[in-house]
Amino acid sequence: MNGGAATLVLERIGAGVLAIAREAGGIGVLCGRVVRSLVPPALDARELKLHLYKMGVRSVPIVVLTAFFTGGIMLIQSGIFVRRFGAYGLLGWGVGYAVFREIGPILIALMFSGRVGANNTAELGTMTVTEQIDGLRALAIDPIRYLLVPRVLAMMIMLFCLTLIGDLVAILGGAIMGKLLLGVDFWTFYNSFADNLKTQDLAHGLWKSIAFGGIIALSSCHFGVSVRGGAVGVGRAVNAAVVAAAVGIMLLDYFLTYLLP
Amino acid sequence: MIRCQGVRKAFGDRKVLEDIDLEIAQGTIWGLVGPGASGKSLLCKLLTGLQPADGGHIFIGPDEVSALDENGLMRVRAHFGMLFQNGALFDFMTVERNVAFPLVRAGVPEAEALERARVRLRAVGLSGSESKLPSELSGGMKKRAAIARATIARPPIVIYDEPTAGLDPVTTSKIYDLLRADHAQTGSTVIAVSSDVDGLRSFAREMGMLHGGRLIWNGPAAAIGDADHPVVRQFVRGELEGPL
Repeated sequence: MNGGAATLVLERIGAGVLAIAREAGGIGVLCGRVVRSLVPPALDARELKLHLYKMGVRSVPIVVLTAFFTGGIMLIQSGIFVRRFGAYGLLGWGVGYAVFREIGPILIALMFSGRVGANNTAELGTMTVTEQIDGLRALAIDPIRYLLVPRVLAMMIMLFCLTLIGDLVAILGGAIMGKLLLGVDFWTFYNSFADNLKTQDLAHGLWKSIAFGGIIALSSCHFGVSVRGGAVGVGRAVNAAVVAAAVGIMLLDYFLTYLLP
Repeated sequence: MIRCQGVRKAFGDRKVLEDIDLEIAQGTIWGLVGPGASGKSLLCKLLTGLQPADGGHIFIGPDEVSALDENGLMRVRAHFGMLFQNGALFDFMTVERNVAFPLVRAGVPEAEALERARVRLRAVGLSGSESKLPSELSGGMKKRAAIARATIARPPIVIYDEPTAGLDPVTTSKIYDLLRADHAQTGSTVIAVSSDVDGLRSFAREMGMLHGGRLIWNGPAAAIGDADHPVVRQFVRGELEGPL
């Protein structure tokens, strides 16, 4: 590689790093502004309720469906080893541990990001390019407080609730599949689950879900309100928001798995 | 009183506004014309603090907009009503909720705000469209709904950015009649931006023209047609030959 090509590669890497730093910084600044807007708490209850419904209640069917089959898949994957070692008594614990701590929060967060986060970015992006956000500011209304804070709170609250629902449905899916595929009766499954799992295991995943809700909300709002360039820009922003949320979820999961008990 | 002193704004290397000096007396209807992309809408956004100026001073009454933080700007913006070029109606709200929105946010009880919005919609000829969404309205109807929203709280300063762009001549006349009637009722200071010189000349008392980032003419609307500046003369008369 000659000097010119090496410089070009370094320039591209540098530009990429700068772009990531710019977006991460933007998300950080937005996070600070959202937190500042909560002091003193002056929340638009109507907007919050609307988003709790739109983002949470309407996501329940897709979360239930995904979670049920997730529990089933966990069972199918572990079924071979359970049979080989006769570890039927560990089935409930195995499914519950994986679902509560990792699979439940991550899968539901990714699903939530695709459905709710992408929609949120598209909505805010369209409002930005059609000057509706400037319209709010011109009416002396703080868009952070009126538009973003209810969305961020709704996403954090509803991802927590959806993860709780999803966890329970996934366990139910595991128990049903265990009975159908491995002949493990519900009581054996339940006892393995109840005797070996602690509230802490469930809480571990639920804490993560709040953090995942936060990163999905902040990235979707950040890319939504910083859209440039009309419909093409909105499409690009949705794409960037979903990717940023997925990366954020994985990074947060890594660190939270270390930090949380 | 609205006052600009040496206001300038650039985007990267592109200087959009340079050394804008301007005074608009209270209660005046001031029209701003200029070719496309001459910075007309940008000047409106600088006046309301929606965009920060790079230099110079902007005063709205005693408040220097260019020196205020976002909270201070919110306070100043409460004196403004603004019609955006594309209406900027909130597409997630019905027309009546859009119009009632400034009142609701100002603390007027919702039922009263909605009733006042319905009255206002009747006044702009939009009765029957109350429960429609903005996407269900035609261009002219959207403009009228947006005008209703910009003026419902009777702000002391109203900015109309291209109130008649893309509208047929009859609707244009109706819109100007509406703006005239509003001004007669409220006595507010009006800034109207348009590329339609003739329409604006019939509405505004004072007029200015932006070109090349500068306010190259400012004076009585009746005199703009006789301006000495060749660019102003060509633009106003719509001549093909000239410096433009």
